[in-house]
Amino acid sequence: MAAKGNIQINLSQVSKTYPMGMVKVEALKGVSLEIKEGEFLVIMGPSGSGKTTLLNLVGGIDSATSGSISVDDTDITTMDERELTNYRRNHIGFVFQFFNLIPTLTAKENVEFATELVKEPRDTMAVLEEVGLKERAAHYPSELSGGEQQRVAIARALAKDPPILLCDEPTGELDFETGKHILNMLRMANEKNRKTVLLVTHNTAIGEIAHRVVRLRSGEIIEVKQNERPIDPQELKW
Amino acid sequence: MNNLQRKLLRDLAASKGLFLAVSAIIFLGVAFFGASFMAFQNLKASYDYSYERLHFADFTVKVAEAPQETVNKLEAISGVKAVTGRMNADIPLKLPGGSVKTLLARAISLPSTSHPAVNDVKVEAGSYFREELENSLLVEKSFAEHHKLKPGDTVSLTVDSQEVSFRVAGIVTSPEYIFAAKSRQELLVSPETFGVVFVPQSVVASLMGKPVINEFCVTIDDGADRAGIINQVEEILTPYGVIDVVSSDEQPSNAALELDLQEFGEMAEVFPFLFLIIGALATYILLTRIVHNQRAQIGVMRAVGYSRRQVLIHYLSFALIIGIVGSITGTVAGYLLSETMTTLYITILKLPFTLMETHWMAMEEGIFIGIVPCLIAGILPAYAASRIHPAEAMRTPPPTGGRRLLLERLFPFLTRLSSLWKMPLRNIFRNRRRSLSIIIGVAFGTSLILVSAAFIDSVEAILGLQFDQIQRYDAQITFAQPQPTTLTTKVQEWSEVTEAQPVLKIPSRLEHEGNTYSTLTVGILSDSELYGLYSMSGEQTKVTGDGIMLGEALQETLDIDTGDVVTLHTASGLNQLKVAGFIKQPMGSLGYVTLNQAQKLAGDEDIISGLMLSVNPQHIDDIRGKAFQMPVVASVELTAESRAIVSDLFDLIDTMMWIMLGFGAALALAIVLTMVTVSILERRREIATMRTMGYSKGKLAAMLTIENLFLGLVGLILGIPLGYGLALYFFSLFQTDMISFDLVIFTHTYVLTAGLIILIVLISQVPGIRHLNRLELARVIKEQVS
Ligand SMILES: Nc1ncnc2c1ncn2[C@@H]1O[C@H](COP(=O)(O)OP(=O)(O)O)[C@@H](O)[C@H]1O
Ligand SMILES: [Mg+2]
Repeated sequence: MAAKGNIQINLSQVSKTYPMGMVKVEALKGVSLEIKEGEFLVIMGPSGSGKTTLLNLVGGIDSATSGSISVDDTDITTMDERELTNYRRNHIGFVFQFFNLIPTLTAKENVEFATELVKEPRDTMAVLEEVGLKERAAHYPSELSGGEQQRVAIARALAKDPPILLCDEPTGELDFETGKHILNMLRMANEKNRKTVLLVTHNTAIGEIAHRVVRLRSGEIIEVKQNERPIDPQELKW
Repeated sequence: MNNLQRKLLRDLAASKGLFLAVSAIIFLGVAFFGASFMAFQNLKASYDYSYERLHFADFTVKVAEAPQETVNKLEAISGVKAVTGRMNADIPLKLPGGSVKTLLARAISLPSTSHPAVNDVKVEAGSYFREELENSLLVEKSFAEHHKLKPGDTVSLTVDSQEVSFRVAGIVTSPEYIFAAKSRQELLVSPETFGVVFVPQSVVASLMGKPVINEFCVTIDDGADRAGIINQVEEILTPYGVIDVVSSDEQPSNAALELDLQEFGEMAEVFPFLFLIIGALATYILLTRIVHNQRAQIGVMRAVGYSRRQVLIHYLSFALIIGIVGSITGTVAGYLLSETMTTLYITILKLPFTLMETHWMAMEEGIFIGIVPCLIAGILPAYAASRIHPAEAMRTPPPTGGRRLLLERLFPFLTRLSSLWKMPLRNIFRNRRRSLSIIIGVAFGTSLILVSAAFIDSVEAILGLQFDQIQRYDAQITFAQPQPTTLTTKVQEWSEVTEAQPVLKIPSRLEHEGNTYSTLTVGILSDSELYGLYSMSGEQTKVTGDGIMLGEALQETLDIDTGDVVTLHTASGLNQLKVAGFIKQPMGSLGYVTLNQAQKLAGDEDIISGLMLSVNPQHIDDIRGKAFQMPVVASVELTAESRAIVSDLFDLIDTMMWIMLGFGAALALAIVLTMVTVSILERRREIATMRTMGYSKGKLAAMLTIENLFLGLVGLILGIPLGYGLALYFFSLFQTDMISFDLVIFTHTYVLTAGLIILIVLISQVPGIRHLNRLELARVIKEQVS
């Protein structure tokens, strides 16, 4: 089953080079990709292939060297710092491999830390309940397991109610069962809340839950595969 | 409260020790500023108000003798506000109760029924002269307190060798004697030998047979041309023999107070400045560390949608809170300290009016100067935080360090050092900013300790110089009128006296190329054992009969040098003398010649004005009584008494210097504690890793100790010349004709300072090392790199 919305994210000839002393590292080389509203897209590729770079560019926390990225028909590569901040606030929810919670805030406060920035956030406790952490709301990150911390991170991303979720190896640090649980949550967000999800992983198996799988190698897209029937995360095996 | 603010508070709480230590530095600086500045303002306001209320003279002219009507002529000069003519003479005074105590009193006449228009007195007890009380007088408060004189007591004055009884009508304070100085030469005199009394003009007139005046006190209109008016006044008074013109800024009491105020003012500026530089530095280092440690958090903040501005303000708030906490508590402490300091002053000085106000301006300034350095220090790290690239921030940073040092490349043998020495060396160079902060902190702390210690040492040295080396006599008798030289032998024969040597003091005005200075020329025996003269280089010297030796401050005052000719104006005429050299004179500025020269200057080869005595220790208490059995004795000064009074006055300085020393030590402790703790915390992972590699806790603690001691030592080495320079600067304020301090720092002071600093460095490590010893290795190593 393919997503059938409008084109939401449009990358056109996007390149990113990092200066590294005398040499230049080409992290992305002329990548073009169209992502539909409500799509669940998995980006795969070996380490160093440019996955994180791609996600960061879409999330507006890094800037492309050339090419353009438009989101909802607005070119984000020409935005100034203020517009980018607003874009991140209102359009993007990030979930990182290392959770990146604020250690001095409780689970609930970490979620509110993000929702305070938007006009119409979702109810914090409702979102925490959705990720199964209602009872843990008053706990600090150091008192939570890795899986729980990542669920707080997902709650933080969801609570702002952004249209796009960007997840960079969200299961990379987690064991199999916990990982599956997290993927399930993202899938729910995609299905129930109509979020567009871009999920980076180097775990091939995870590709099966996506509508589409994009493979990167050395900064280039080498394969785009449409899944006729994405499987349920519960059925995953690796 | 939003969650960003909550994060701020929790972050502060998590490192509260460090934040408090940095706030403490600001606290010390602001408290120091507040205390000295507010005390300065209290005193200045009190002096000004007292001067205003009691119409302190803008200048005073001393003449030989003038008629009462002259006052009207002077008042007619345009710009002159008021003039008071009075009699002012130092005459023997006998205390009540059949005591044999006689001493020299400065008797000043005041209008019999009304208060004077210039240099009024404030009645503190009893009343002003009352008509029904025939011979009444007023006694200056410090003198009255010392001798427990009360209204109703009787004292007698010797006027024209005639003893006259007076009833004490009142105890008064005077704007001229807030600091009861006898003269610029004798700034610090014991109330045992000198006091001020005020007598009614009518009584003086009847005792003298006619109403005479020998002093005019003048106030002028605001903005009037003082120099011009003085010229006109001098012209009118020339026929009456102008002896001296003393403007308010030269007036001994006022000049001494001004000097003191100036010291306060300078202290209020210079020292807090040092504290605040250190405070800013510590804030900068602490905030840089926080921003560095929170790189990933900043990345998240930016990714989630916080703006650069929000990030900037968030991190600047850390600095702001340090500033606010430090400066508000500092202002309160400064206020309380200023009250204590002012009160301490008031117990020593006899202020007619005291104004202790709440100095809102000073408080605002204190808060301002506490917060601003923190904000300035915070702006750079906070700005850096706001510029952190979010994508970059969340990638794990490349490991730092591990480079071979330039030092090691230059001196390859260093790489062969054992790790016990190599690691500290590397660490010192790895974070230069932090190392530099420890060095600067220790250096400033050292210099502060040293400046205060320098005062304490110098006071001790000055007492030693004045009372052990220069003034070696046990007692000095001053005669009311010149006496024949033969009196020396008579007194020498007293059983109490082991040695008696003659002195002749001649009031004289020294002049050189238009610069003048009124002082005493003292004639002593060339080989006098009771009075020591010391050259500027510290060697003992003596008067030779060839020229005059001058007190050190006169070199500048008269703009004169050895070999130049100085003109002496004395009662018996003009004399020209070559300057034979300059001598050390901590108190007063006099000229010294041989007794013979002095007698020639006086025009009488056979007179002396006093005797210096060396007294049998067991008879020291009897010598005064014995001396007063001679009718011609005006006063008897005991060196032990003089020493006690000077030492009492210096106690005040001492107290303040001990406080300052405490501040200096606290500063060094706060800065070193902060820096050392920061530096240890930054390295917890590295240290934990070393522990797992088999380094013992003891060895790691030793490495840290070596590192910090080394930095402390460098700071100490830099701090000593800095402190010495600062002390020199402060002491330059005290190079006046009234008092001149030589900067003296005893060797043991350097040793103690070094010891104190080393102790502070060692103590500073305790919290950091204890923290390391409690580390749970596994947990730290697993900690996410941030
Ligand atoms: N800040 C940077 N400076 C230099 N090179 C970088 C930087 N960030 C990423 N790279 C390089 O860009 C390439 C792509 O990195 P990244 O997007 O993180 O890959 P992935 O997430 O697929 O592992 C890699 O070769 C990486 O080393
Ligand atoms: Mg990556």
